[in-house]
Amino acid sequence: MSMIRTEDLWRTYVMGSEQLHALRSVTLNIDKGEYVAIMGPSGSGKSTLMNLIGCLDTPTKGEYWLNGKGVRTMNDNELANIRNREIGFVFQTFNLLPRASALHNVELPLIYNGTPAAERSKKAKLALEKVELGDRMYHKPSELSGGQRQRVAVARALVNDPSIILADEPTGNLDSKTSEEIMKLLDTLHRQGNTIIVVTHEASVARHAHRVLSILDGQIAGDETIPEHERNGVH
Amino acid sequence: MAIFTSIFRISLGALVANKLRSGLTFLGIIIGVTSVMTIVSALEGMQAAIREDLETLGPSTFMVAKMMTAMSEQEFLDKIKRKPITVDMAEAVEENCVLCDKISPRAFEDATVKYGSEKLNNITVMGGSSNFIDIVDMDVAQGQFHSPEDDLYKRKVAFVGDLVRETFFEGTDPLGKTIKIEGDKYMVIGVAKRRGQMFGESQDNFLIIPFSTFIGQFGEPRRQGVFLTIKAASVEQLEETMDEVRVILRSYRKVPYSEPDDFDLMTADNVLDLLNQFTRLFRLSLIGISAISLVIGGIVVMNIMMVSVTERTREIGIRKSIGAKQRHILMQFLFEAVVLTLTGGLVGIVAGFLIARVLTAQIDMSIQPSAVAIIAGLVISTGIGLIFGVYPAMKAARLDPIKALSYE
Repeated sequence: MSMIRTEDLWRTYVMGSEQLHALRSVTLNIDKGEYVAIMGPSGSGKSTLMNLIGCLDTPTKGEYWLNGKGVRTMNDNELANIRNREIGFVFQTFNLLPRASALHNVELPLIYNGTPAAERSKKAKLALEKVELGDRMYHKPSELSGGQRQRVAVARALVNDPSIILADEPTGNLDSKTSEEIMKLLDTLHRQGNTIIVVTHEASVARHAHRVLSILDGQIAGDETIPEHERNGVH
Repeated sequence: MAIFTSIFRISLGALVANKLRSGLTFLGIIIGVTSVMTIVSALEGMQAAIREDLETLGPSTFMVAKMMTAMSEQEFLDKIKRKPITVDMAEAVEENCVLCDKISPRAFEDATVKYGSEKLNNITVMGGSSNFIDIVDMDVAQGQFHSPEDDLYKRKVAFVGDLVRETFFEGTDPLGKTIKIEGDKYMVIGVAKRRGQMFGESQDNFLIIPFSTFIGQFGEPRRQGVFLTIKAASVEQLEETMDEVRVILRSYRKVPYSEPDDFDLMTADNVLDLLNQFTRLFRLSLIGISAISLVIGGIVVMNIMMVSVTERTREIGIRKSIGAKQRHILMQFLFEAVVLTLTGGLVGIVAGFLIARVLTAQIDMSIQPSAVAIIAGLVISTGIGLIFGVYPAMKAARLDPIKALSYE
């Protein structure tokens, strides 16, 4: 059984009298443990697809099953639960709380599922150590470099042990060297058994994945497996 | 529970981080609660002072007179035509009332009082029996009240209020001095303890002489008649005693069975009730006016919370994207509003009480903090936080996570 399965997925925005189809009939399967890149130019609908997969949004038409559960009919609370337990987001702009320490930022998802304070802090510290920020736990985002901030975001995505790590242009705000660092981190997480989906418009980033889905005009235009020797990172 | 306390901490953190904003909201609430508390405490203090004054009568005591209250002009005009209670009638009650423990007849006259070259106009001269001091809780500062013998022999002795003492005898011993009441000489035998002011009027410009002496000098009190202050044997027997006095007076005044009493009977409680009725509208309007400032405080809270929600749109988006439910966001912002208004309310309660205390001290009253006022203050300020905080909090809770995340 696929971890992610969509069938005839549509997302339509109504702009005045016009209808804008951001996604048109997307059908795809992603299995547990896959490392997938969703590629496409801006405006192609890749962010819309990511929002749907991440349960931040619901489809206008079509079905989406996550671990066999239909998402389309879920209410707000159920979607919040999925986002909390099944999805780990990594955003282009990091999206950390600026006034909170790295540790508190990583603890945040645990707060909303009622994890007791002691366990919360233990898990968050462990996640930060995983991204090699064990010595920066009490720094605020403004006291960290871009790469470190993104690593905090990765730790936050990991902390609840989600089904999928969903990274939306994770290197978009980083220089090439730091980008490489973050991608290597994602590679490592994949090797440890995590399912990873990266949305990007950069071929060099997409080449870290094992499978590349190309999106164009809201439709899947290509689905290719990257042979091992063509991949970036893992050798 | 873990979620609850964690979210509460998040709210506190946000309040501390936005000191200026929190401070302004705080101020709005403090002003509102302070004004309401000042008014409520001052009113309660006044009420208590009046009650205390009336309770000098004691709970088993009542008063009888031709006319004590009139709630309308018509009632006043009707009652003014009544026959006064005469000295004979007062004596009839004294002779016939079995349940009465103590009976003190009294009569009043405004008179000019002189001591040497000093003169006081419009002093209330009261003729009262010697047991008056036992029935009414009046304290003797100096000397003594007149004795039954003074009453029996119509002695010309006077027990004076503190204002009279202050005017005539400041710095000297008043006892044994001779004053003139409407030309007749009286010897000062005692001074009452200072009673202070009520509604801006001194309670100390009086002078008491024996009842028999009063009648001897001023004659039968024609207009107002005799006032009777009667003490029943116990509080339980108050009603019965009043009934007995009523029957005696009705028969002496020849009131037919079908007619109502042509005199008034009142207990201290009756007087208090009446006073409350008179001042109700006044009190309500004062509270109403001060409540407006509370509403303004509430609007300040709402305004600031709206700004706060807009400013933190992105934060809300982040929280929602990692699994915060609508109710978690709602709670977070409601906590903020309630913590602000509740702490503001606490400060307001204390400030209001202190201001009320200073105000009432001006009219010789001392007020105590009342549990009702404190609880009301806390409930009101929490309520304001909830009422005016709920709309901004709901707005925050319902934000679309995608839009909130891309908010700049």
